Amino acid sequence: MLGRKSGWTLSARAFQRLLDWLDEGVSSDGQKYLEMQRRLASYFDRKDCALPDELADETLNRVARRLEEEGGVIESDAPARYCYIVARFVFMEHLREARRNGQAPLDDARAQARAVHASPPGETDEKEFAEKRLNCLEQCMEELKPPNRTLILRYYTGRQRIKIENRRALAEELSLTMNALSIRACRIREKLEACVRRCAGAA
Amino acid sequence: MSKQTNDQQTVIQYLLGALPEAEAERLDELSLTDDEFADAVAIAEKDLVDAYVQGELAGADLDRFNSHYLASPRRRENVYFAQAFHAFAETNERPPAAEVSADDTTSVATKRKRPGWLSALLGGGAPRPRWQWGAALAALALLVVGGWLAFERARPRPQVARTQARQDASAQREQEAQNQPERERSANTQTSDEAAQAQRREQPAQEPQQNDSQVSQHATNGQQQSKPPGRISVASFVLTPQVRGGGQVATVNVPPGTDYVAVRLELEPNEFQSYRVALLDSDGQRALWRSGRLKASVAGDGKTIGVRFRAGLLKRQTYVLRVEGVAADATTEIVDAYPFRVVR
Repeated sequence: MLGRKSGWTLSARAFQRLLDWLDEGVSSDGQKYLEMQRRLASYFDRKDCALPDELADETLNRVARRLEEEGGVIESDAPARYCYIVARFVFMEHLREARRNGQAPLDDARAQARAVHASPPGETDEKEFAEKRLNCLEQCMEELKPPNRTLILRYYTGRQRIKIENRRALAEELSLTMNALSIRACRIREKLEACVRRCAGAA
Repeated sequence: MSKQTNDQQTVIQYLLGALPEAEAERLDELSLTDDEFADAVAIAEKDLVDAYVQGELAGADLDRFNSHYLASPRRRENVYFAQAFHAFAETNERPPAAEVSADDTTSVATKRKRPGWLSALLGGGAPRPRWQWGAALAALALLVVGGWLAFERARPRPQVARTQARQDASAQREQEAQNQPERERSANTQTSDEAAQAQRREQPAQEPQQNDSQVSQHATNGQQQSKPPGRISVASFVLTPQVRGGGQVATVNVPPGTDYVAVRLELEPNEFQSYRVALLDSDGQRALWRSGRLKASVAGDGKTIGVRFRAGLLKRQTYVLRVEGVAADATTEIVDAYPFRVVR
């Protein structure tokens, strides 16, 4: 795992500074931080890094540390762009470290994928996981507000052309643009996915 | 090709790791710094995963999906979720119209295309595309052909059962034309005739031709033994309340290899807010399975509840699903009973 910058830990004050800086003057109640964490984790995941969430946290820690050093302001770049710059450094370091250990992250991830395909867990295990996930999904669907439940069921069902026509009709009914509808459906699905992950992890 | 489509294609290629490095880096940056692009990536990724799960990816995109997208455990989780989501969507009836306002003909046709309670295959375990989907669809076809009965009752019943009867009939006709094995044919002959009659009576809405031909093709290739490991097969059906004073007992075909039976029960009008369901053996004395507390869904002017239990509980005999209403003070009262006979 990537070596952390030594001797520095994220304090409550540093964390608050990070939140404020990401908010850019408009309080988001931590939503900007969560969104940036999510985007960073996705970025590292798309780079086939083995532990994307940890690398995302490491990136934000480094940003918070720099903020502490700079008295809470980094003027060179906008917050999101600065996070990207730090993330690139973190990725390069991760890459170098992986190579030092004789393994490129891409190879590592693909080897894992091949292993998964070559020797899947037993049928019983798979069925248990699938059933657990389905039970969790049923629970999480119940927790959604009925209009949201209806929206994602309608938005994500159907195939190809029919799906597109479905969505167009739904956007019209809800007086939304297609883009706004897509974003809304996507957000609901992300909540649902998070709920299922929590539930299946806890079950 | 429109700019939007072009952009969507670029995002898809980005997600599949198919872009040149410099272009990928540019989009990496945008994915962190540009809200609109970040949304576009999230939206496109869900559609991409759905397309994979629904067997719509082909050619280079499918190859890239297999070799690149599935390389990450986190991304595989997205696939697992999508499998569960679509199984859920297919085993649940369509959303009540009241919540989403009126349907147009297109959306009605869409929902009829893949009936909620026809049957579903649940994805589980590591995604294994191509051969897996072929086998899954073959298993689906088997369920369509052998595991589903529509029930024509003495009195008019809500739309759910009738819609399914139509679909079952079309699948059935196609299947019979493909030299269905005698065993399956005899088990479903009555259903086919009844459903075909129902179809003629109902004058069904135009259904996409593609749908029927898909079913037909899957049925032709149906191979019961080819269900891949980790797949859960569910035989689904709808039961309507017993006509007062008796009536025909519904017959349900549960094909060998079925893991779960999913049943949607149409309720008589009642005031209860929640319910419990028990599966009883033929004499109604012994409960083989009990549900937790369930809420009903509103379907048209009636209510329905869905239950799911292991198919292994069922042998070739008659059973009863008994529904109890649960009052606010937790006392219960039997509201409906649904006898059905299992053939395998």
